[in-house]
Amino acid sequence: MTRVIGYLRERGLGGSGDPATIAGGASFAYAFGVVLMFLLVVEAVSGMALAAFYAPSSTDAWGSVAYLQDQAQAGWVLRGVHFHGASAIVIIAGLHLVQTALYGAYKKPRELVWWLGILLMILMLAWAVTGYVLRWDQAGFWANKVEVGIAAATPVLGGVIKKLALGGNDYGNLTLTRFYALHVMILPAIVAAVTYGHVALARKLGATPFGDRDQKAGPRWPDQALRNAIAIAIVFTILLAYVIASHGVGLAAPADPSQSYDARPLWYFRWLFELRELAGRAEKIVALATPAIVGGALVALPLVDRAATRDPRHRLAYLGGLAGLLALIGGLTIASLVADARDDELAKRDAKAEQRAALARKIAREHGVPASGAADVFFAAPLGRARAVFASKCKSCHDAGSKDRKGPIIAPGHGSRSWLKAFIRHPGADENWGRTKLAAKDNAMKSFAQMPPADLDDVVELIYAESGASDVIAARRDHGGSVFETACSDCHAREEGLAGSSAPGLGGVGTRAYYLSFISNPKSALHMGRDNSQMPRFDTELSLDDRDALAEYLVWLRTATPEDLAALDPL
Amino acid sequence: MADEERRKFLKVATCAIGGGVGLVLAAPTVAVLIDPARKITVTTPTAPLDLGLVEQFRVGAEPRRVDIVAPVVKDAWLAARNVVLGAAWIRRTEPDKIVALSAVCPHLGCAVGWDAAAGNFLCPCHDSRFSVAGDKLTGPSERGLDELPLAVVDGRLQLTWVRYRTGQTAREPA
Repeated sequence: MTRVIGYLRERGLGGSGDPATIAGGASFAYAFGVVLMFLLVVEAVSGMALAAFYAPSSTDAWGSVAYLQDQAQAGWVLRGVHFHGASAIVIIAGLHLVQTALYGAYKKPRELVWWLGILLMILMLAWAVTGYVLRWDQAGFWANKVEVGIAAATPVLGGVIKKLALGGNDYGNLTLTRFYALHVMILPAIVAAVTYGHVALARKLGATPFGDRDQKAGPRWPDQALRNAIAIAIVFTILLAYVIASHGVGLAAPADPSQSYDARPLWYFRWLFELRELAGRAEKIVALATPAIVGGALVALPLVDRAATRDPRHRLAYLGGLAGLLALIGGLTIASLVADARDDELAKRDAKAEQRAALARKIAREHGVPASGAADVFFAAPLGRARAVFASKCKSCHDAGSKDRKGPIIAPGHGSRSWLKAFIRHPGADENWGRTKLAAKDNAMKSFAQMPPADLDDVVELIYAESGASDVIAARRDHGGSVFETACSDCHAREEGLAGSSAPGLGGVGTRAYYLSFISNPKSALHMGRDNSQMPRFDTELSLDDRDALAEYLVWLRTATPEDLAALDPL
Repeated sequence: MADEERRKFLKVATCAIGGGVGLVLAAPTVAVLIDPARKITVTTPTAPLDLGLVEQFRVGAEPRRVDIVAPVVKDAWLAARNVVLGAAWIRRTEPDKIVALSAVCPHLGCAVGWDAAAGNFLCPCHDSRFSVAGDKLTGPSERGLDELPLAVVDGRLQLTWVRYRTGQTAREPA
């Protein structure tokens, strides 16, 4: 027991030191720790401001970050300072570590200070991981998936670690609340405690001057303080300049498990990413073991390098090992970045992802994020849901530009007077039924190209009126009734909900309800009939919301022009 | 005392640099934190809201509470649909005379309820009472219940939702 207490006493615990002077005199080499403390304050201040906007829920997280980034004044500055400030911490902490190693400041009695420093470094990296996922965009979401996947490969405990990290069996609200609690409450508390220990011990034991020669102590205040302030000002200026030049930090499209994404870790994990690539099948073992080996080597340094000398010339083996390690990390980082930069396919995918992100943010800015969640943000665009469903379910058979088109073209003007007229004149034309089996069938609708033009216009008006359009010419429509009786009523019916004797019922044709019913089951007797339609029924395949959105879209198309369609954001 | 002056300069320079850095960090922080206070962060529909057919309200019946629902409310980043904004008490005294009173208590904004036994309105928070017509009876409220703009179009009730300032005699939109 006394030995333990004696050991700790010697290493700075208990008693009082002399912080008024600084060994070797004031120096910029001593400023790293203070700069790191300052950066922690920057993270705390900017983090509190971010927390005043952030909503840790899987439906709202992305929307709240997008709002902060794109709509709150100076929000992007705060986000940028917070994100790049974390990078600055990693860089300065790395320099701090190198300086400490170079000066031999890890040696007895400063082992505890060194070890707490290593612990802080690990905590900083963990802090970054917990922060990156919070934005719940494609970048943060997929990077986290990979990180948790690696952690889940831990022998024996992997499954438990994954469940604890995700807050359950899968990504969701509890994943975010958990990482948020870790990021803004638990880790800050732990970091504050460890930092206090690290700094208090370092102050007590005093600074370590370079080399072995005795050097005169100098005053801490104001000589060292001014150097600290200058170092802080330089780092902060660079940080701020970088934030402004890069417009803060990006925000990808909302997290979407169905959309693949080229996940990349934060830059300071790039070396591990590259190493994992090189390791091939052993990737998870390598990704887990390497940080443990690196950390272990750093922890072991003061235990193996026990000679009294701090002169770097007498410690070339250890310093060489550290230099080799840093060179390896740097080399792997550069290799990873270069490999990505050379990958043209990746650049194309990234450009596409960026486009999607810009569109998602534009829609969020102009129309808001739907309550169903940020993943549905594209549905918030005008006719967004319908256009998305159309693109995935209807386009290949109905779009003019589709090579595999099997059905009539659906485009702006569909269901308008001119469209109806063209259809009645040539139902079998290529743009109508030309590519369906009805085109060649004898009993399909015949061409009415020979109908007197006035009669044709009248019957078009009659059918057009069924859509509920507000610009119907009543006289034309009324006259169209008698044309219909002679030319159409043998096959078609006009009463609502009634099928014709051998052709679709036209009651309410062109209304939203009619389109909904048609899309739901085109093979119904009311519509094309079981044998005439090649179009599948969609009532089982698409939700009522999706079908209704399509119906609304078809109604919109009736009065839309190609320019109207082009003016909508492409989804 | 050259050294004394040098030390003084160092102190001033240290404080100046530290203060400058602090101000530069504080500026965007304050800017972002006050931003919501300068904006309409939650929208209220300005267009009249449809409350359905007038016929559902019987002439001479007790006041009836109706939820006021906005089709779309933009709430910071969210575009929420069918959001309940509050409630109104609706009373039809004559076939063509119909009145809507906001259920927001003019005292401090609690939701006013109908006390059927007493035949008047009662706010549960501080016991302000209002007559069936909305006039102030007893309690701390400084004015009567607020009447909401109401119109009948094609037999349908159209109500415009307004929030008034609470805790004062004058009736002013918030």
